[in-house]
Amino acid sequence: MNPTWCLHIGRAEDLRGEFSLSRIATFEKSATIQPYLHLTTQLIAEQFGEIEFTRCYFGNEFCEHLIPSLKALQAALDAAQAQNLSFTFLTPYVTNEGLQALRPLFALLASHNAEVVFNDWGVLNLLRREFPTLIPVQGRLLNKSLRDPRVTTMYATAPAPTAAITALQRSNLDCESYTRLLTRFGVQMVEMDNLPQGNDVSFAAHGLQLSAYFPFGFISTSRVCMAAGLHHHPSEKFQPGAPCRHECQSHLLAYAYTNSPFGNRDQKFYLKGNSYFYAHTEAMLRTLFMQAQSGPIARLVFQPRLPMKEA
Amino acid sequence: MKVLAPIASHDELEMLAAAGAEELYCGIVPREWMQKYTGAIWLNRRSPVGGSLDSYADLKRLVDDAHRLQLPVFITLNAPSYTAEQLPLVLELAHKLSEEVGVDALIVTDINLLLRLSEARLTAALHVSSVAATLNTEAVRFLLNFNPSRIVLPRSLTINEIGAITNDVRDEVEIEVFMLNDGCAFEEGFCSTTHHHTVGAFCTSLSEMETKFEWAGARFTTRRQNWLRRNLTDYRQWVWYVNGNGCGVTAKGLPYGPCGLCAIPDFQRLGVSSLKIVGREASPFKKLASVKMVRDIVNRTRAGMPKLHVIERAKSLREAPEHCAAGYMCYYKVD
Repeated sequence: MNPTWCLHIGRAEDLRGEFSLSRIATFEKSATIQPYLHLTTQLIAEQFGEIEFTRCYFGNEFCEHLIPSLKALQAALDAAQAQNLSFTFLTPYVTNEGLQALRPLFALLASHNAEVVFNDWGVLNLLRREFPTLIPVQGRLLNKSLRDPRVTTMYATAPAPTAAITALQRSNLDCESYTRLLTRFGVQMVEMDNLPQGNDVSFAAHGLQLSAYFPFGFISTSRVCMAAGLHHHPSEKFQPGAPCRHECQSHLLAYAYTNSPFGNRDQKFYLKGNSYFYAHTEAMLRTLFMQAQSGPIARLVFQPRLPMKEA
Repeated sequence: MKVLAPIASHDELEMLAAAGAEELYCGIVPREWMQKYTGAIWLNRRSPVGGSLDSYADLKRLVDDAHRLQLPVFITLNAPSYTAEQLPLVLELAHKLSEEVGVDALIVTDINLLLRLSEARLTAALHVSSVAATLNTEAVRFLLNFNPSRIVLPRSLTINEIGAITNDVRDEVEIEVFMLNDGCAFEEGFCSTTHHHTVGAFCTSLSEMETKFEWAGARFTTRRQNWLRRNLTDYRQWVWYVNGNGCGVTAKGLPYGPCGLCAIPDFQRLGVSSLKIVGREASPFKKLASVKMVRDIVNRTRAGMPKLHVIERAKSLREAPEHCAAGYMCYYKVD
């Protein structure tokens, strides 16, 4: 069984040109991140051969300052239409101000049979009440599995009680009452990260479709952005939701877990803007692709950059 | 506007009540949970060791005596989510806490648990934890589907943002905000990490790791590198404040840490229902000092003291003007 392949684009220009994996692997300019993309495209080719992207993702899951403009969204919609791609719009957790920024974008999307990934219950509420034609998808930030590569890789191999390991590989998505609730709210698909400790995806049998991101997982995110502090006086830095100049686009910060009490001192974490990410290992990618080939994961979303690109 | 204090044992009840606590919250981790999941999987947002009671009998005695003092007791069942295997145990626990122990409210994060408890129509009210990351009015409206009596707003909201939400929903649900002690460098509801003692909090752990910046443009000059490094140093300083000034205390033993005392007049004006003091696991002395500080400012605000005088008093209570001036110890920026 082949999953549906989706590509998270940073801007409309990404869709102008051939869709080869070798070209997509060059979207990310960071020398630190590029090796992960080369590994990923190599494994896709090895496991699946030629693939066809049928849907594009656009938008941001982590920061309301990166909600795209109406113009950028229109350009992305046009580019997707020209390539005959279905469209999914990503939204972050938001304040009332962020909700206001989303409203005109939803109004534009409403005539395009688009999906909207919500990572905030307020966004779902707004969609249901004012934009019922848009198709809601539960985002990965609302899937509360532990994603802490400091310990999860240890948990995956530790002689811990089975109940504890199983709990770490699941979330409330394995509860039928919850999946029924989501269905009642018009949600047919939920998104998840590929967890370092492994994913138990047996809940997919409850009728919900499952979508997974690769090759980066999110660890944590904040309304306080280190990068946004760059242009402020020290006493004014690090205020929640403070205005920024999208300083996150100018640099990447890589952390090495050199203070680990375990053996995983080569574990890396990447900070882009207000959010921390981990990169998938080869073993994690192989497991994910196997789960997609065997059925439980219906959709794979390839993010060829750390997902913090300004549109 | 009530003062909500943490409590971890019956021994703390009398002193917290005398100091001015008007509501109490605590956690319980039954032995069955620990046997099944060990300390790796937390039933609520605090480590099972030190931050929670472990017997129904102790909790019942605490609740009964708190009620004699007219103090309601709320209890945390606020893990980010519970799996299908865990849920029956949590529902059974909630039923027992409400109908047998007599707690006044259950503090919940997981939407599925909230749904199930709202259907169960227990005697205890439902409070939505800050871990649910309720950042906007629409999210409050979504949560009202499950009949909570109170929503705890995350500490990352500004006074203006809290004001806008409170203004919209004041008549439909109580709003609780953070007042004193621990901060969180991340958006608590969207932080997927553990505070397990083997590794500590992710935010503080990051401050000790080796780092490498990569510049996206053509030339990563020494000047740019220094600029980024200085900002990282400032950020690490902010994280130190967020974590209670490295878990420090003043010369008199008063607790440091994030603080919203100066915002109390604003919260009274906005109609906020409750001010939360963080730290179930803290020492009894820290809890006592925290309640005294908050109650002092609440009393002055209730008595109509002008806002600027209240702020002056709040800063003098902290006994650390240099930390107040740093700007990193405040939950909220006050105009």
